[in-house]
Amino acid sequence: MKRIICVGNRHSAADAAGPLVYERLARMERPLDIEVIDGALAGLDLLRFVEQTERVVFVDAVRAGGSRGGVVVLTADEAEENAPEIYDHSAGLAYLLRALRRVSEGPLPEIWVVGIEGIPEGETIETAADLCLSIAAEGYQAARQHAAPACGARA
Amino acid sequence: MSATATLNVPTSCTAKKTLNIPLNRVEGDLEIRIELADGRVVDAWSSGTMYRGIENILVGRGPLDGLVITPRICGICTTAHLTAASKALDAIAGIQPPPDAVRVRNLALTTESLQSDVRQTFLTFAADFANPAYRERPLFEEACRRYTPLKGETAIEVIRQTKRVLEIVAILGGQWPHSSYMVPGGIATVPSLADLLQCRHLLAAYRSWYETRILGCPIERWREVRSQAGLDGWLEESAAHRDSDLGFFIRFAREIGLDHIGRGHGNFLSFGQLDLPPDTQVRGRGGATDYLIPAGFARGSEVSAFDQAKVAEHVAHSWYVDYAGGRHPSAGQTQPYATGAESQKYSWAKAPRYDGLPAETGPLAEMVIARHPLFLDFLAQGPNAFVRQLARLVRPAELMPAMEQWLSEITPDGTFYIPTPAISEGEGIGTTQAARGALGHWVKIADAKIQHYQIITPTAWNGSPRDSDDVRGPWEEALIGTPVADPANPVVLGHVVRSFDPCLVCTVHALHRGRSLARQPL
Repeated sequence: MKRIICVGNRHSAADAAGPLVYERLARMERPLDIEVIDGALAGLDLLRFVEQTERVVFVDAVRAGGSRGGVVVLTADEAEENAPEIYDHSAGLAYLLRALRRVSEGPLPEIWVVGIEGIPEGETIETAADLCLSIAAEGYQAARQHAAPACGARA
Repeated sequence: MSATATLNVPTSCTAKKTLNIPLNRVEGDLEIRIELADGRVVDAWSSGTMYRGIENILVGRGPLDGLVITPRICGICTTAHLTAASKALDAIAGIQPPPDAVRVRNLALTTESLQSDVRQTFLTFAADFANPAYRERPLFEEACRRYTPLKGETAIEVIRQTKRVLEIVAILGGQWPHSSYMVPGGIATVPSLADLLQCRHLLAAYRSWYETRILGCPIERWREVRSQAGLDGWLEESAAHRDSDLGFFIRFAREIGLDHIGRGHGNFLSFGQLDLPPDTQVRGRGGATDYLIPAGFARGSEVSAFDQAKVAEHVAHSWYVDYAGGRHPSAGQTQPYATGAESQKYSWAKAPRYDGLPAETGPLAEMVIARHPLFLDFLAQGPNAFVRQLARLVRPAELMPAMEQWLSEITPDGTFYIPTPAISEGEGIGTTQAARGALGHWVKIADAKIQHYQIITPTAWNGSPRDSDDVRGPWEEALIGTPVADPANPVVLGHVVRSFDPCLVCTVHALHRGRSLARQPL
């Protein structure tokens, strides 16, 4: 099983990238072994979706210093770089990724984060959704070789 | 950890300092500004720094949209909002959900509390026990071994165990996250026998872990503790009690003086939680016949019946268009007004009051209103940060036996939904207790649209700014008198505020890559 987990707050425009990509993915045809989850604000509670999974692609809003609408692909290590050490109610994806290594009771899946800069529009959402599916299906390296370069994506 | 500090120049012989302290270990943004004199807090202002406007998003939408939108207000209290939204619609439809539907709703809501109480205590509140401010304390090394974030033994175990118990919500709700299975008239899912067995297994496993690791004794033994003397006796009774996380919490909290800080107004509010089905064997606490956790208001230990008509919201110090005094939420308005020119307004949170008074809500309020003898005994000396957090830590012991009973009472071939006509007109109120306290939804439907929706959350009560009479909110008041030994590391202020389990709104959850946050959290 592979999973795409879209996180964010659909009621806050600056954080709505994940939910918008989820809506796009929910309308797309996809392989049966790829599950798409609206992870919203579930934070640490998404741990159960990461375990016993071959590959996980998270989608979230990021501030990575790029231009608005840019899409970046981050490793789990990069995404957890500035994670808070201490849990709180707003502990998000970065905290989840940091906690994962410490609490996982099985082998860790391959994890990628598709990040979107700023408030995304239609083309960015489509690009991110296609990229998520490619990475979930093949892994990032294979997806880079087989797919057209993503809008603003970087290795 | 440190805090940003803005020091005012002393203007008199009594030196005063002002600290601005962002606490972003909460759901959303919260900033506390305090004034210090002679090493103690002499004034405090609590500022919610993000506008929500959820109520305005709901106006004009379909009558059932509150069931889908309000659970997304918060990533922690989704089931509590779903419960309140459903109960408001039940009331409008004039429908009493069937007993088994009530049991399923109760089980999901209680599961959310089981998870939240343990996580907040050991991942957030007790994380401060490993603060360097306590490095000279005899128990510091053990505190670090247990609670150092993402390393401590208890911290790791809590994440593992609280992850599993939430599966009860997923099973009963048919999906998780975003379980929207509560509907006016009952629930939209029917649990199978296998579902119920799985829930019983998950609950039994959580109870076993909670008893072994957290309490150090069976729940039945803990519930025999009825006084402070009984608590001391329980603590000395065995090494298992002393070395449990509850035992260690009591020892460490007393050592650092949490029982001497965080007093507050001493007013308590519970909206009541967990409706008792007419045919259940579960008995309400404190003699309640309608809820397991009774509704009520208490000034000190004097409890009176709860009357929702006495709830009002003030905005004199909130960034909203002014009105005189307070307004009942059924007539409330949420019109943002933040010019920045009015120094008296300092928070996006409104100031809810009960019968004109500020009131704290949460597990301690529930224990007081249920007339729990241990907590009434503590209250003789007034509330404090220790007893507030203790109430949260032991609340699961009050809830799990009822959950087990409800699971045994549900019959898979029972009735879980009563056909309910479409809602086009009416007014209803949905109240419950979220993990952090009293939660209410006040809803009006007209022409098959939401005409009015007003929500008062637990943190609006606890973290409110001053009201129209300039009376401080509960944790603003609780901070008064707190000694701050080191303004550069005011961890003690965190103890006071976090004993209320602050949870403001969900805010921007963006990853910050390659840059640090512009401010330093407490």
